[in-house]
Amino acid sequence: MSALRMQGVGFTYPGAPAPALSDCSFAAEAGQVTWLTGALGAGTSTALLVAAGLAPRHTGGDRTGVVRTLGEDPALPASRAALGGRVALVLSSPATQLSGIAETVAQEVAFAPANLGWPRARIRSRVADAMDAVQIAHLADRDPGTLSGGEMQRAVIAAMLVLEPELWLLDEPTSALDAAGRALIHDMMRREATRGAAVVIASEDADGLLPVAGRLIVFASGRPAIDGTPRAILAGDQVWRAGAASTAIAGLARAAGVVAPYPLTVDDGVARWTR
Amino acid sequence: MDALIPLAMEQVGFAYGSHSVLEGVSLRVNAGEGVALLGANGAGKTTLTRLAMALLHPDAGQVTTVGRHTTGRGPEDLAGAVGYLFQHPEAQLFARTVHAEVAFGPERLGWSAERIRTAVDATLEELELAALAAHHPYDLPQPTRRLVALAAALVAGPHLLILDEPTAGLDRAARARVTEIVLARRAAGTAILAVTHDMEFAAAALDRAVVLVAKGVARDLPLPELLGRHPDFPAPPLLELARRLGLEGVRPTAAALAPLLTSRPQTGTLEA
Amino acid sequence: MTPVSRAAAGRLHPFTPLVLTVCVAVLAVAAPGPQTAAALYGVTLLAVAAAGVGRAALRALVPLAPLWLFLFLLHAILGEGDQVAVLGLSLSRDGLALAVTQACRLGAIATASLALYASFSPARFVDAVAERGWSFSWAYLVVATLLALPRFRARAVAILEAQRSRGLRLRGSLLNRVRAVGPVTFPLLLGALAEVDERGFALESRCASGVTRRTPLDPPRDSLGDRVGRWLAGALAVAAVLWRVLR
Repeated sequence: MSALRMQGVGFTYPGAPAPALSDCSFAAEAGQVTWLTGALGAGTSTALLVAAGLAPRHTGGDRTGVVRTLGEDPALPASRAALGGRVALVLSSPATQLSGIAETVAQEVAFAPANLGWPRARIRSRVADAMDAVQIAHLADRDPGTLSGGEMQRAVIAAMLVLEPELWLLDEPTSALDAAGRALIHDMMRREATRGAAVVIASEDADGLLPVAGRLIVFASGRPAIDGTPRAILAGDQVWRAGAASTAIAGLARAAGVVAPYPLTVDDGVARWTR
Repeated sequence: MDALIPLAMEQVGFAYGSHSVLEGVSLRVNAGEGVALLGANGAGKTTLTRLAMALLHPDAGQVTTVGRHTTGRGPEDLAGAVGYLFQHPEAQLFARTVHAEVAFGPERLGWSAERIRTAVDATLEELELAALAAHHPYDLPQPTRRLVALAAALVAGPHLLILDEPTAGLDRAARARVTEIVLARRAAGTAILAVTHDMEFAAAALDRAVVLVAKGVARDLPLPELLGRHPDFPAPPLLELARRLGLEGVRPTAAALAPLLTSRPQTGTLEA
Repeated sequence: MTPVSRAAAGRLHPFTPLVLTVCVAVLAVAAPGPQTAAALYGVTLLAVAAAGVGRAALRALVPLAPLWLFLFLLHAILGEGDQVAVLGLSLSRDGLALAVTQACRLGAIATASLALYASFSPARFVDAVAERGWSFSWAYLVVATLLALPRFRARAVAILEAQRSRGLRLRGSLLNRVRAVGPVTFPLLLGALAEVDERGFALESRCASGVTRRTPLDPPRDSLGDRVGRWLAGALAVAAVLWRVLR
């Protein structure tokens, strides 16, 4: 059973003139990092919200087709209990992902486990592990409202990591982070996949995800348009024609008139342009 | 542009209550310069920009922004000569159309209707927003709203532009637009002071790095000397590639590097 | 609202200040005359000072002072009936009594409310509710409501600064201030609504649906003093209401 499966899924936000997803079909497996990319409006963010059940439950709108998240239809009220704590959703704006009632970062990270009724001892040890994993242990007693955007985002990720979820749904999780923070999160995602979780990430950061993702799906007009291995897709022209972007080096090569396959990394570029 | 120094801070000290954030900070930004203000959270970057903007006033020393001492002044007294883009500036949009939003500043400055219209049209043109002039800002996607906010900060032709995380949350295309606009304005003489963690943007659009550490300026040096030479500041891919290809002095953007690489054959030697 | 106050107020069980404030309000409304109202205000001031949040009492004077002046003018100076001479002024006896009663009522309520606000700790309150096994949802509602104001205010300040940097002037004519309303309130309201929306997402994905019994992370101690205090205050409030109703 796939960790996430969508079949012929369509979704239109309330009052929107056109559907955000249209005949969208794909599956994401456990133990793998599945990377979604696409132009603005191509549907990657919506796909994640639909997978989490927040669309249509919180957003309103109409959903068609079949969605199975860890075997459940996430739009059904009954699935909330079944999926609670097993699916982690991380969005790109950290400030609104905070609970708003925690006085310290440690309390913030403990928010979800406490809601799930875990025993205190387990909460304490898991919270410490999660904070260590994203290197915010030194911020444990800080007021979450005083954190920088990058620190806040790492705290939000720790708050999900603490649950050891089976499925990660991440929407541009590193946009507020610097290079070190991005590397940290990408590393963490790879470890989660090794642990057996399914990781689905929507991101434009081709340079960061190339070494991490095992599979790339390029969305266009509300559905997957290209599906395959990151290297093969990013080195080609298709990804650009679909309105998405590849790595910085590939972009440079394209601008310099190179013919596909484009160099992707700095090493590739050096090899391409010098003896 | 006249000979006003966009920003001069001399031995500036500032404390929030008993908590001292800046001590003896001196900094000068000249016309056309692009400064990346860097440093860990809490080091005082935001405080420094707020002092420059006259939202805060120094406890010690002097802050002179576009030739005016900030003591006794507020940001409304600097509007027109200084543009400030806050974090997530989309939150400040309120007008019914993009045109009206961008016109707000000049209207407050008392410009004539003719002058306002010319300036707004020109700025929207520059940011490729002309087609959206009659749109309601809230109907636009977030990256576009960011560009509208940037247009509003630029319309009066400021000598100094202060940006706080200008590329945060933007997609690649919008980041490229912001980079182009910053470079164009710098060429026209506007000074830029940007707080940013986006080193790709900094390497492409800015030239100087000022690193704040625990109350003071730890380092003030050209950006290329910092990037890739210090573990906290790795070089972004295009910069690293440029260095390894012997193109050190070239601006690390696709636009600047591509023409130099187009002429290189598949496995040829380095050209002079 | 400060993070866990080190003052005595921070050691009280979270329900205690809440119950006490409500009881003060009830007693204030029920107080029949100037002596009881003044006594209530006095006791409130003492309690607030003893709890270490005395600054709230001072802060309460800001809105209270003009109200007191107004009451004094309305009832004492302009009131009719028997006159009494005080400091060279001829004041209505009944009017003076009424003014003092109203002033002390308002004083007690305002002081207690601000003290509650200053000593409120969202995390401790949520833990207290969780410990009793009550629903997290209504605890969150209470906390979110109380926290909404400072957040709203912080957002308003940020928007105001943004508009000032574009030349919006606040000082000076009434026209200036009226002009400032649109550029500040519109984005403020829209932003607040959007935030509510997004926060709903976050709560959902953090399993805050209130189905399971939440684990208290650091259960606050409910001392004998706390319980006695709450019961006593509650009993007084009920007695006061009954007494007023049955009189």
